Amino acid sequence: MKFERYVWLSYVLLTLLAVLMVVPLVFMFTTSVKTLGDILSLQFRWVPREFTVENFTRVLQIMPFARYLYNTASIVAMTFLVQSITISLAAYAFARLRFKGRDLLFFLFLVQLMIPATSIIIPNYQTIRTLGILNRRLAVGIVYFASAYGTFLMRQAFRAVPRDLEDTAKIDGCNGPRVIRHVLLPLTKPSLIAFAFVSGTFHWNNFFWPLLVTDTVRARTLTVGLAMLTQATESTPEITITMAAAVMITAPLFMLFIVFQKPFIESFAGAGALKG
Amino acid sequence: MHAKSLRPYLYILPAFVFLFFFTYYPAGFAFYRSFFHWNTSFIQPEFAGLYNYRQLLQSRRFWQVVTNTVVYSFSFIAASVLLALFLATQIDRVKRGGSLYKAAFFYPTMIPMAAAAMIWMFMYLPDYGLINYYLRRLGFSSVGWLNDRSIALFSVTMVGIWKYTGYYMILFLAGLRNVPDELIDAAHIEGANGRQRLLKISLPLISSHLFFILIIAIINALEAVDQIYIMTQGGPSNSTNLIVYFIYQNGFRFWDMGLASALTALLVVSLLLIVSTLFLTLGRKVYYEV
Repeated sequence: MKFERYVWLSYVLLTLLAVLMVVPLVFMFTTSVKTLGDILSLQFRWVPREFTVENFTRVLQIMPFARYLYNTASIVAMTFLVQSITISLAAYAFARLRFKGRDLLFFLFLVQLMIPATSIIIPNYQTIRTLGILNRRLAVGIVYFASAYGTFLMRQAFRAVPRDLEDTAKIDGCNGPRVIRHVLLPLTKPSLIAFAFVSGTFHWNNFFWPLLVTDTVRARTLTVGLAMLTQATESTPEITITMAAAVMITAPLFMLFIVFQKPFIESFAGAGALKG
Repeated sequence: MHAKSLRPYLYILPAFVFLFFFTYYPAGFAFYRSFFHWNTSFIQPEFAGLYNYRQLLQSRRFWQVVTNTVVYSFSFIAASVLLALFLATQIDRVKRGGSLYKAAFFYPTMIPMAAAAMIWMFMYLPDYGLINYYLRRLGFSSVGWLNDRSIALFSVTMVGIWKYTGYYMILFLAGLRNVPDELIDAAHIEGANGRQRLLKISLPLISSHLFFILIIAIINALEAVDQIYIMTQGGPSNSTNLIVYFIYQNGFRFWDMGLASALTALLVVSLLLIVSTLFLTLGRKVYYEV
């Protein structure tokens, strides 16, 4: 029972702010289908004077979009796959096993949350160079192969699974890794999927680290390609083409978001589980 | 027996190896290298004592970057966290359209910062930009959003606020969902007004969320760099240069890895100090539901 007065005021404020928030998105879409002449007329129109898809074909000419898409998708997939192994093994130990130094180790894991990869680009770049993997997709992903956030999330999930189920499996001769794979993970799928959403979004959108460790088409991601685009067009940045490219690199994730809006948002809300 | 006691560590090992080589070791390595002359002209890094730190402390540019970063962080954190809290409480109130509002505020999380920075850069354009177009129509003169050194930092901050507020709002909503309706209703019957219900009941109950969001916002503020790289390259006249971009400039533009290492060490120490101080002070006071 919510007997609030002035609820209409909330509607008005929310709608107003929501419209403001959406302006950049609409601006991106509408600019991407405009002609340059329309922009240069100095008359801003929300609906283009004439629609064109030429900007998109131009992007495909200037930028090896398919290659960047392939690079990005494989980095996202590789990173998540390795992460799901490292985090479920570690989460199992932290949730179920008793050993010396467990709390200290768990604390050390959490320290990763305070030192984001972006803050240590200089030493990590050196490591990548020493390993001889500069300009490879592995260089983009490897820095993120361990995830304190994922470990924490899966530890919470494993803890909620009744121990009896594991004991039965163990009597049937399952060892630890098999218990994780065949008993725990199937039961905690929602948590792993939530982590997939968060990790996938982060790595799809990641920009600065891939920019530093890649310098040819071979390993560049979509976001890096977008930044290169404005540097390639030496003249005044061509607004229409850049916005078409922005639409193209944003679209895959964005469509996923529209279809799976609720689970997507819930996954990000799950980060709140980290408190306490 | 011995093998068995090692077993737990084997489970942790894979994650720990990556944590070690890409988080702890680099943090320590930056600290170590900050005491060396280390640039392209030195084939072997050469011990330099506190030289790099002295260089920094004497440089006006460094202090300007520190000031920029502090100003950016405070304004970004205050605006995005407060706005997020406001939006969350409003969405919590309305009966209809909740998911539509949520999507409208949350979608920037899905947009790469690199793309968002492009969009905003074009909206900020002096002549062809959307914002100045409306300013002119309203009779104001054009503003150099990214060209005017007294405004550029503000313009860049707006992008951060737009990008992150929705995410923090979702975290607040997760907290508000745990506040029992009966508690709010009871307070209402007892005559508490909206503000009292928020400040005396909801807010204390979600204080652990607030604390956690604050920590995330601090980290998001200090690691901001994508929008600087795309929109301003730290300019005009260094007015939007933030700490991570400054590290990048020194390391990858001027190839002074020693100086960049000293900056990295300072950033890592600040992050650890700020977060642990908050945990030891505010962190002890917040309410945790069991």
